[in-house]
Amino acid sequence: MYLRRFILGAVAVAPMLLAIGTPAHADTIPPDAAKAFINQSGQKLMAIVNGSSSQTAKSEALRQLVDQIVAVDRVGHYVLGRYVNVATPGQYQEFLGLFHKLLAYNITYQINAYKNISFTVNSATPEGDDMVVDTTITTPDKPPADVGWAVDEIDGQPKIVDVIVAGTSLRITTRNDYASVITDNGGQVSALLTAMQHQIKKLAAVQ
Amino acid sequence: MVEKTKTTLKRGLRRRLASVVPCLLLAVGISGCATPPPRADTADYQAYKQLNDPMEPANRFFYRVNNVLDTYFMKPVAQGYVYVTPQVFRTHVSYFTMNIGEPARMLNFMAEGMPRDAGTAFMRFLINSTAGIGGIFDPAAALGYKETDTDFGLTLAIWGVPPGPYLYLPVFGPSGARDVLNLPVSYFLTPMAAAPASDALTDFTDAETGLDLVNTRANYLAPIDQVKATALDPYATFRSLYRQSRASQIQQIYTNDGQTPPAWTQPKQP
Repeated sequence: MYLRRFILGAVAVAPMLLAIGTPAHADTIPPDAAKAFINQSGQKLMAIVNGSSSQTAKSEALRQLVDQIVAVDRVGHYVLGRYVNVATPGQYQEFLGLFHKLLAYNITYQINAYKNISFTVNSATPEGDDMVVDTTITTPDKPPADVGWAVDEIDGQPKIVDVIVAGTSLRITTRNDYASVITDNGGQVSALLTAMQHQIKKLAAVQ
Repeated sequence: MVEKTKTTLKRGLRRRLASVVPCLLLAVGISGCATPPPRADTADYQAYKQLNDPMEPANRFFYRVNNVLDTYFMKPVAQGYVYVTPQVFRTHVSYFTMNIGEPARMLNFMAEGMPRDAGTAFMRFLINSTAGIGGIFDPAAALGYKETDTDFGLTLAIWGVPPGPYLYLPVFGPSGARDVLNLPVSYFLTPMAAAPASDALTDFTDAETGLDLVNTRANYLAPIDQVKATALDPYATFRSLYRQSRASQIQQIYTNDGQTPPAWTQPKQP
């Protein structure tokens, strides 16, 4: 049942799979500030997903929202893992660019399956250097999903750095996914970049 | 006599099938082991050890086999099931199959030394089997007895048994050297296994197993499709999801079974 909740929750939030990549900060964001940030971000997300705009307009709006509320570069850094040191500076920059694009396409893919989403903010608890805000996401004809949003302060602004469902981190899932592509190709980061390009083309064709 | 023999044969067949899976795994596994990187390549070797998937070629083979089975059989069946049943029906099917698993959970919690969780599983089975009309409804949750999942694999984990190498089983999917032991145990730890053998019981068990499979697959329709569509390597993604989920379940068991001081020990609120 937990696995089921996890997967259902993961799908609801998979576009925002994210992470922390750099060493920790001394202070965590206060619980009330984190909850207010997630509440505000969630309302914006609901407004887009449940709105009557065209799919293209929704996709564009979601891309902009993700850039505002998610620490995409930092997540990308984490997701690349130990291969950050293997990649050339050029490959690293290319990876970040592809990661931004792939995230946007994944979001667009996901929103096709969701409508009339509602969510409630429950509590906030510190975990490591982040503040994890627990929410319950409800979708018609689907069981409710408990989703935790890890929030950290980056350049003075709160940002989402991870999504946790039933204690499971989506940033780790993505990191393992990418690492597998690299290790299966003899440790070549270029193989990951190629796979990401193919994936972007594939998702672009579907959309 | 003939009827009894037929029932015994049916059960015997299922047991033999259950024993064939590990043998098949062993046979393919022996020929399908991954080649580790050289020890001199420290980072790669450490990553390989951490991944703990020495049978990756065999696992990926079974992943592809399951994928074909799923694409041409399980998924269409689940889609048809979703088409003809409302969500509320599927939710109550989940409650029903969950209730049948409560005695096994109770025994596992007892073996884990988690008395509070064992008591919760016992109360859930008692309340849902009666007031919940055979488990179709879940009034126990409303009374404060929330579901906590466990199985024999998690019991072994609580005892300190390490997860062991990752396994992707034919038909059953993601598992591990430790968790695979849950399969035979969960087969025997059901109320049906304890009841006297009869054709009706066997038919009920088969129907319940089939319904559970289809209902569970139906619940995963969108998530699995989306993982397959968005992951670069779905096999690695499912492996990661499985492992994280199991680690989380272990943590959840410890968290849920915390001490609850009796009310009279608490200071009175002004």
